[in-house]
Amino acid sequence: MTTILELDSLTRVFGGLRAVDDVSTKVSEGELFGLIGPNGAGKTTLFNLISGFTPPSSGDVRFKGESITGLPVHKIAHRGMSRTFQNLRVFPNMTVFDNISVGALGMIGVSPFSALWGGRAKAREISERSWEMLEKVGLKEHADDLAANLSYGKRKYLEIARALAMKPDLLILDEPAAGMNDSETAELAQFITDLNKTGLTIMLVEHDMGLVMGICQRLVVLASGRKIADDVPAKVRQDPAVLEAYLGGDD
Amino acid sequence: MSKPLFIKLLLLVIVFAVVPFALEGLGKGYYYQIATLAFVFMLLAASLHLVTGVAGLLHLGHASLYGVGAYVAALLGSKYGIGFTYGLPLAGIGAAFVAFLVALPTMRLMSIYFAVATLGIGQMLFLVFQNWVDVTNGPNGVMLFDGIDLFGYAINSELGIYYVVAVVAAVSILILNRLSHSYYGNALRSLREDDQCTAAMGINVTVMKIQAFVISAFFAGIAGALWAYTTGYISPNDFNFSQSILILTMVVVGGLGSLPGVLIGALLLILLPEVLRYFGDIRNIIVGLLMFGAILFLPKGLFGEVNALNFARRILGSAWSEDNSEKGIGWK
Repeated sequence: MTTILELDSLTRVFGGLRAVDDVSTKVSEGELFGLIGPNGAGKTTLFNLISGFTPPSSGDVRFKGESITGLPVHKIAHRGMSRTFQNLRVFPNMTVFDNISVGALGMIGVSPFSALWGGRAKAREISERSWEMLEKVGLKEHADDLAANLSYGKRKYLEIARALAMKPDLLILDEPAAGMNDSETAELAQFITDLNKTGLTIMLVEHDMGLVMGICQRLVVLASGRKIADDVPAKVRQDPAVLEAYLGGDD
Repeated sequence: MSKPLFIKLLLLVIVFAVVPFALEGLGKGYYYQIATLAFVFMLLAASLHLVTGVAGLLHLGHASLYGVGAYVAALLGSKYGIGFTYGLPLAGIGAAFVAFLVALPTMRLMSIYFAVATLGIGQMLFLVFQNWVDVTNGPNGVMLFDGIDLFGYAINSELGIYYVVAVVAAVSILILNRLSHSYYGNALRSLREDDQCTAAMGINVTVMKIQAFVISAFFAGIAGALWAYTTGYISPNDFNFSQSILILTMVVVGGLGSLPGVLIGALLLILLPEVLRYFGDIRNIIVGLLMFGAILFLPKGLFGEVNALNFARRILGSAWSEDNSEKGIGWK
């Protein structure tokens, strides 16, 4: 299988703290891959290193065979990487439809000139893609509501739909199940699995073991910035180092 | 006739027939001056709206860019004999150029720091107008005696000048309307909401901000040229900080992010002091109280953004409507 994302001894130091310490791994195309670890393990930092929000202190990120280390965030997005945010960042004062349209228009490209003259084909493409994504997450009847007025769970799906509107090759979800109850989490797990079945590579960054254990094909476990395990969930579950770090060692 | 077409025709009839007819009937230069002032400030407010209302950048120096346009037009006209036909676009380009130069270092600044930077730019340009006596004639200002000359045709009548100002302002506002009511406008709005998140959507945030700032300055420069040519005299105080605040007030009272609201705000703040002239100096207090009340009771503005976007999409017909089963959503 071809490798889509490759991390090569990625390290990030904040002052004296090694938030991410020498992490290497590979993600294959079409994989549903999980990154887990207890609070403060460096998951979000690693994620920010991958998506370009934070530059690494050392090491390299290769996406589709090319190094993307040090590229600005918007250029990495154009290469086909799309992300959501841990603390749910939809555009609150824009409608649901307009939120999703931003995901689409970033990739399709708009300019002041296309707005004034001859941008009709682009506008049609953006509109159609936005409707398609609305349909996919079942928010069609909310298209004209302000994002701020949606329920928490629906805003989560809106954020995912906006990321999907970029038609990414790799989708990274940062703690999508945070703040959801069990039945909502189960529904989300099904949604993510279905997405993955369409051939999309997905990376899940999660704090909660339940979701990742159930659906991921492979897991990387971080503790104190270091990679302590990299295997299928069944093996990771029994790994003594993981149990020690993650569950406190008495399970 | 469809509803959008009817509304558009109605607006055209008001601006190009009803108002000039009424002005001719009143037959006094004073009323024409107010009409010109209203157009200039509607254009200023509409251009600031793009930066502050749509892209969410608090801009405290808009009047100084308006001043750059006015000085470019007045100096080209009075010193070099370059008339209105070329002076008008050159005024816009001059202001846009100055804006581009100052935008490069300031656009990476966040919220309040950007506001303070624009405040500094406004003061700096004001001091240039005031103290660079060799070029700007300092506090004495610049006289511009040649009237409006359009491709060789001198336009002398008050009615003719009204039409020139109205057409230039209307076309400019239409362009700004299109920029804020389109997917490009959506991209600008997303900057206001969360610019980091917008970058993750593959949008070059810095370039977008510079674009909005420069386009806005271009139209402020156009407004400056209209002002210089219609009053025939400009001085630094026409472009000081309080003018920037006046324009900003129009935007906020009208509704941040709402172009129709901003136009209403500008009209109101220009016309109200004139209507209240009968009350003498108390009128300024009345205007202040009304503004205070407007913000207190209508914090989203006289015509808020949600209503404004509905208006643009459904009443003016800017929505994408390939699928007739959907109500107007998205943009053409």
